[in-house]
Amino acid sequence: MKQKTITQSMSWLHTWCGLLLGWVLFAIFLTGTIAVFDKEISWWMQPELAQNELDQAAASKTAQRWLEANHGNAASWNISLPTERYPALAVSTGEQRRGERTHLDPLSGEVLEPRDTAGGNFFFRFHFTLHMPRTLGIWLVGFAAMAMLVALISGIVIHKKIFKEFFTFRPAKGRRSWLDGHNASAVLLLPFHLMITYTGLVIFFLIYMPAALDALYGGDRNAMFRDGRSDAAQQQAPLGRERGERQTQSVPAELLPLEQFIAKAETHYGPGALAGLLIDNPGRINAKVTARPLLGSRIELTKGEGMSFSGVTGELLQQPSPSRPTLLTQRVMAGLHFAQFGGYPMRWLYFLCGLVSCAMIATGLVLYTVKQRKQAKGSRALLNVTERLNIATVAGLCLASIALLWANRLIPVELAGRELWETRVFFGAWLLSLAHAAARPVFVAWREQLYAAASLCIALPVFSLLDGLALDSTRVALEVACVVLGVALAWLAWKIPSRACTAPLVKSRPARLAGAEQ
Amino acid sequence: MKAPLQLWPMMCRILAAILGGYLFTYCFTAALARLLPLDRFDAALVASLVSFIVYLAAILWVFATHSLRRVALSLLLIPPMGLIGFWPQLIGTLG
Repeated sequence: MKQKTITQSMSWLHTWCGLLLGWVLFAIFLTGTIAVFDKEISWWMQPELAQNELDQAAASKTAQRWLEANHGNAASWNISLPTERYPALAVSTGEQRRGERTHLDPLSGEVLEPRDTAGGNFFFRFHFTLHMPRTLGIWLVGFAAMAMLVALISGIVIHKKIFKEFFTFRPAKGRRSWLDGHNASAVLLLPFHLMITYTGLVIFFLIYMPAALDALYGGDRNAMFRDGRSDAAQQQAPLGRERGERQTQSVPAELLPLEQFIAKAETHYGPGALAGLLIDNPGRINAKVTARPLLGSRIELTKGEGMSFSGVTGELLQQPSPSRPTLLTQRVMAGLHFAQFGGYPMRWLYFLCGLVSCAMIATGLVLYTVKQRKQAKGSRALLNVTERLNIATVAGLCLASIALLWANRLIPVELAGRELWETRVFFGAWLLSLAHAAARPVFVAWREQLYAAASLCIALPVFSLLDGLALDSTRVALEVACVVLGVALAWLAWKIPSRACTAPLVKSRPARLAGAEQ
Repeated sequence: MKAPLQLWPMMCRILAAILGGYLFTYCFTAALARLLPLDRFDAALVASLVSFIVYLAAILWVFATHSLRRVALSLLLIPPMGLIGFWPQLIGTLG
């Protein structure tokens, strides 16, 4: 490539960065958008759990009664209290691994057995690991995120020239419309695209860029964060060590009713702001109760923090201390990415913005094929592969995602390892989509896959209607949202005519949707 | 991408951007963390948060720069920055 101008080299960079990582980026953005509602999806995927009146104090009493009766000698208890987003009570003990927890009826204390499910957590984990080994996945996603930043900035540079033209959207004008749709979705939410990508990198900043950690702390992450705790926390630290020494003692002592601790912690965090309780050494003199706040009472992401009390005397042992400004900056950035603040209105805003990001990536991918198709000199083989992969990524991932929800309802409840089968259905559907995209003519494949995804979305409420499973506002909202998305997908599919007459004319129509989605 | 002749300069540029850029950013971040007049923790955190923007700028610069020679010369900046960032460790290994 002879580089003549900056615009040309940036254009080249934008095209190749966007094309080669666009597929991965679409998968990251779509699963991330879905994961905004991860808890709600988990709740929908466990129809055996029913919503009771939200009463954390009563639930904690139930949990304490059950744990004392069944796990009196456990080293620790972990109680997940019912919350607005996931109104279930679940307990686990120190010996159990994470994830193996017992669901209890918050009022009667009866053991409930909801189905094993991949849950909304599947989308959350896929979003940052791509279902690969954790470290490898995180690095790949980080690489894709850097490519996204490069594509965004180089996109701005090449866009500068046509800034005036941006304000005229020309639907049904072939390649022009695709470009307009791509530009519109990119520019309208440019701050969101930049924010979500940069804050995503900031979450794992020490994994991606450990230079400062290596230089100043010899790579010792714990040393760094010990150093970073505010003075108040450091003063409290000796208390913790003292307690550690006492841990060898196991003088029995009665644990105070847990509801007391909820009331105490709520005076600090605000009513209804708790997510759970962790009890170390229950039933012993050195019992410690830690109240975990919900993520999202403010923007700062305070994972793994809480207030701890002595379980026997009720005295406050450790209070969360405000982060120092630099750490606060990092945590606010992480919080902006996790979107746990601001309740449901903010959640919906993030969801819609995420959909626009997906639309931008998808229109960009399609734009490449539309441009290439018009150029006779371009490589036909590459164009062909790109078109098929576009279908399998964009339509295929939509199909696979909704297939996961169907698998949740269709796979027998008693099947061993059924959460594994759910994910197998997800990847199976995705593979089928790739095979289908490879076998069928391009436009037909687009239409068929979009229609398939749309009909699965629209038909999702069938299960609730037929089986009469427990329905509540969260589950109804999820099904309504699926139907609406299904209608949108069907409309998109309907806009693609059955026969590809001439490429520019054919491709012009869906562009309107891409543009109209904002 | 038209002629095979231009493949090699392009590959060099891509490698310089991804790997050279990362190495540059790594050493830059280490040096910045060492030089910032802040508490140790604050300096490390600020330098780390800025690093993504530095990497981004480095990648874009490699592609925007006209001559490959200038890109190659810029790689020479990496060792001194690494030296600033890691001199205590270096002295520790040598002495």
